[in-house]
Amino acid sequence: MSDWPDTPSPLTPARRFGAPRAASVPRMETVRLTAPGAGRNSALDRSQGRLLFSAGCFALLFLALALKLADATIIAPKLPKKLPADRVHVPPPPPAGQSASQEPLLHSRRAMITDRNGDILAISLPTAAVYANPHELIDAADAAHKLKGVLPELDEAVVAQRLSSEKQFVYLARQITPRQEMQINALGIPGISFETTERRRYPFGRVAAQVLGGVDVDGHGVAGVELYFEQRLRDDAAPLRLSIDVHVQAVVREELSAAMETFGAIGACGIVMDVRTGEVIALTSLPDYDANLFGQTVEDDRFNRCIKGDYEPGSTFKLQTASMALDNGVVNLWNGFDASAPIHIGRFTINDFEGKHRFLYVPEILAFSSNIGAAKMAQATGGTLQRAWMEKMGMLKRLPVELPEARTPMAPAAANWKEIATLTIGFGHGIAVTPLHVVAGTAAIANGGVYMRPTVLAGDSGVPREGTRVMQQSTSDIMRRLMRLVVTDGYGKAAEVPGYFVGGKTGTAEKISHKGYNRNARVSAFMSVFPMNAPRYAVYMMLDEPHATKATFGYATAGWVSAPAAGKVIARIGPMLGLLPETDNVPAINAQLAQPLQPGRPAGAPAGARQPPPAPVPPPVKPAPPVAAVPRPSMPAATPPAAPAAPRDLRRDADAAGAKLAVR
Amino acid sequence: MLPPLSRADTSLLGRWWWTVDRWTLLAIGTLIGLGYVMMLAASPAVAERINQSRDIFILKQVFFLSLAGAIVVVVSLLSPRGVRRVALAGCLIALALTALTLVAGVEIKGARRWIALPGMSLQPSEFVKPCFAVVAAWLMAEGKRTAGFPGMLVAFGGFAVIAVLLKSQPDIGMLAVISGVFFTQLFVGGLNIVLVGIGLAGMAGAAVAAFIFFPHVHARVLNFLSQSSHTPPGGLHPGAPGADLMQNYQVMRSLEAFGNGGLWGRGPGEGRVKDVLPDAHADTVFAVAGEEFGMVLCLIILGLFAFIVLRGLLRLLGESDLFVILAATGLVASFGLQAFVNMASTLALIPTKGMTLPFLSYGGSSVLAVALGIGMLLALTRRRHGGELL
Repeated sequence: MSDWPDTPSPLTPARRFGAPRAASVPRMETVRLTAPGAGRNSALDRSQGRLLFSAGCFALLFLALALKLADATIIAPKLPKKLPADRVHVPPPPPAGQSASQEPLLHSRRAMITDRNGDILAISLPTAAVYANPHELIDAADAAHKLKGVLPELDEAVVAQRLSSEKQFVYLARQITPRQEMQINALGIPGISFETTERRRYPFGRVAAQVLGGVDVDGHGVAGVELYFEQRLRDDAAPLRLSIDVHVQAVVREELSAAMETFGAIGACGIVMDVRTGEVIALTSLPDYDANLFGQTVEDDRFNRCIKGDYEPGSTFKLQTASMALDNGVVNLWNGFDASAPIHIGRFTINDFEGKHRFLYVPEILAFSSNIGAAKMAQATGGTLQRAWMEKMGMLKRLPVELPEARTPMAPAAANWKEIATLTIGFGHGIAVTPLHVVAGTAAIANGGVYMRPTVLAGDSGVPREGTRVMQQSTSDIMRRLMRLVVTDGYGKAAEVPGYFVGGKTGTAEKISHKGYNRNARVSAFMSVFPMNAPRYAVYMMLDEPHATKATFGYATAGWVSAPAAGKVIARIGPMLGLLPETDNVPAINAQLAQPLQPGRPAGAPAGARQPPPAPVPPPVKPAPPVAAVPRPSMPAATPPAAPAAPRDLRRDADAAGAKLAVR
Repeated sequence: MLPPLSRADTSLLGRWWWTVDRWTLLAIGTLIGLGYVMMLAASPAVAERINQSRDIFILKQVFFLSLAGAIVVVVSLLSPRGVRRVALAGCLIALALTALTLVAGVEIKGARRWIALPGMSLQPSEFVKPCFAVVAAWLMAEGKRTAGFPGMLVAFGGFAVIAVLLKSQPDIGMLAVISGVFFTQLFVGGLNIVLVGIGLAGMAGAAVAAFIFFPHVHARVLNFLSQSSHTPPGGLHPGAPGADLMQNYQVMRSLEAFGNGGLWGRGPGEGRVKDVLPDAHADTVFAVAGEEFGMVLCLIILGLFAFIVLRGLLRLLGESDLFVILAATGLVASFGLQAFVNMASTLALIPTKGMTLPFLSYGGSSVLAVALGIGMLLALTRRRHGGELL
């Protein structure tokens, strides 16, 4: 290499260090470098440099490995999500989405769901799945035989064949009990292992099934509160306490089921709500299903009519119209409307079925369920106030109840809230809401005028729930008397239970088919509250497409089919809920709730425009009760009508809206 | 244990003992010993997986590791001339067998790299690696020494033949290692720096071409990139075939094994991830070491490999025979690259490449081929004077 700094020229004499100049010898003599030799030496020198460079590269590579090793082990170790429980094969890794197969092993116990009294509605029981690694088995036939001894439901031949397969993982049985797990473990068969699983059980089966919903095979909620509170039930082991009272729920289900069978209805729905808190005490929809078998249910059984079915509320909405008109000061109790002639508006005709064809006072409009009167009352109030009223009564929005199935009502948009809509909504047509909407709205009318958000969760006792005042206390007081009047003197007589001062309103609406209203398919509901002197509970009973029977004289309207069911429910659940029938102060309470059908104008009250025409003053005749005060429960079937006209009066309350009134 | 040998002992064994690089020999012996330990760690799960009894598995590995030790010693007794002859013969035979795999090979996971033999399957390209390194070194050195000898040309010709064979199998990983070794030899042999640059550019180009034209290379690199940017499992690059999802699964599991091991490891036999780790006995044995014995043993293993490689290269600084320099460089680079590629893919530092960890992985032909290479390295680096062994 010629560029060495101290390389002397070959021509200068070489001199040993410290030796005299004379001792120097010519360099050529000692070194003897040939040209190719010099080239090779310089090549060797270059190779040495490059060897050092290569070594440096390798050193860097190994250093990088050491750093990555430290990172992977102690700096940022990636810990396995799940370790195999023992030295037995886990299933071969799935090609994708391996998290799915690992997840069931990780879950912890799902929280219980109880009713308001602590009765268990849903509970997760520990179970185990048995699996085997056939490679580790010594005698497959013997193992199958022993397993059959513990699990009689096994098919020994199938198990033996599975245990002889070439696979490394076979399931043998799922969801076995801890006792069976112990027994199999005690058999000591090598190659048999257990996977911890759990099973959701619903001890009451069909009772409250649609509130609870259900879980899928992996134990994830797929409907009802199981779905709504999925995260809560996983994260918090404390039981989830519902407002449901399972005993009340069972009664409602039983009575509803009986009524449904009697009248051959295709479905039914029943709700009991605490009007003071908005807590749902019972909520049942028929047909229903066994919550333990959610996976095998059909769509129709899962359909929760109480919250997912939008129905035209029909005449039960006249309670809303009357409250609205009274609270806004549009009418007074002693006012009324001329119901002698049908209303013609546009292409539509609004009529009363079996109407009185005369001027009707406000109490009479409710008691006789006059469509004309209610429509005129709504018209007098006006569309703007009506829509605002519906808004604050929660009738235009999906209810914020803790059930994922809750449905949004169908109501005209503000721009489409025309006069015809105002008129029909006045008697519950041209709007469709869920039964729970009706119950929540009626509860607010009965409880003193405070709207309580409906809930299926039990509130803490002693902590009053916050509500929204939607009307004056005085309006509510009047409405309580009017609701009571419907049962004492109107179409709701069948719901009367002595001592419970039931009040309510019938509602029969024809269902809409493709062409319009279907006169033979109707929804008959009775919306009741008891006791009217100090309202506690709202009871709603609805039958979907009931059919008349001989006992109902050919009628399938709410007064005949739903009101009796409501009466039976009230008679049974009252004591359960701690309300005993009032026996002592009956006359006093009756007097307090008394409401004449045609109230006179109190002295000093202004004479409004909505007074009866002076000339033919309608005689204040109290109509004969259609069915004489017959004690429940044998009422309609056992007793022939006292007067031939009676069934006609009971016949139907919502009607002539008829096919002509498809408002949408 | 070797009997104490006298300095005056001039027998074959005596001369060997006093001239061989005993430090490297010690490191190799330690690696083989660790190979036995890892065999015991991996055997229960693996015996089941490869459907053999555990005893047969252990006996096989004992046999192969003993054979490997014997090969190291016997080959290291050879003179440089003997090494050259063995390498030339081995290279020709291995190349012929590699060519044979294309027609009579066993197809495993879409590649024909193996020849089935009774009791084991042989991957002939493993033997090409060390043998070609020696042959190429001889051709280069001879080309420089003897004017008119077309050494470089023949070396490139041989390399081209190997490249075509490996590309056809296909075995891109092996081709990459052999190319890397060949290039290192050219570099140390004094290749013009401009040509070095061209060579590097060419290799980069080849890597890009492999990425584009070989679907499994493509998918593997994408998987590597996606998992290093911490995509959740399952969020893999679409179009990656199932086998490559498995690769990603393997990388995740081996990282979990290291994480589970931590500094000191879970203890012998206490590994859990190894039960679900694919290839725990072979390609991912380093992860099993990490889980059971922790970072400490992994660093020791890493240190042993680094020691062998760096000592091998640095000792050549005092060597004057170009053939010895180039051959030893090639053998060391081949050994070091193989170890690096294995450990780096287990640690997810580079895309997965199925390659065994020398002496630690289970496997017949690979451990024998590595032993042959190390034996030749020890033979070439024995102390000698004027080309003759002392």
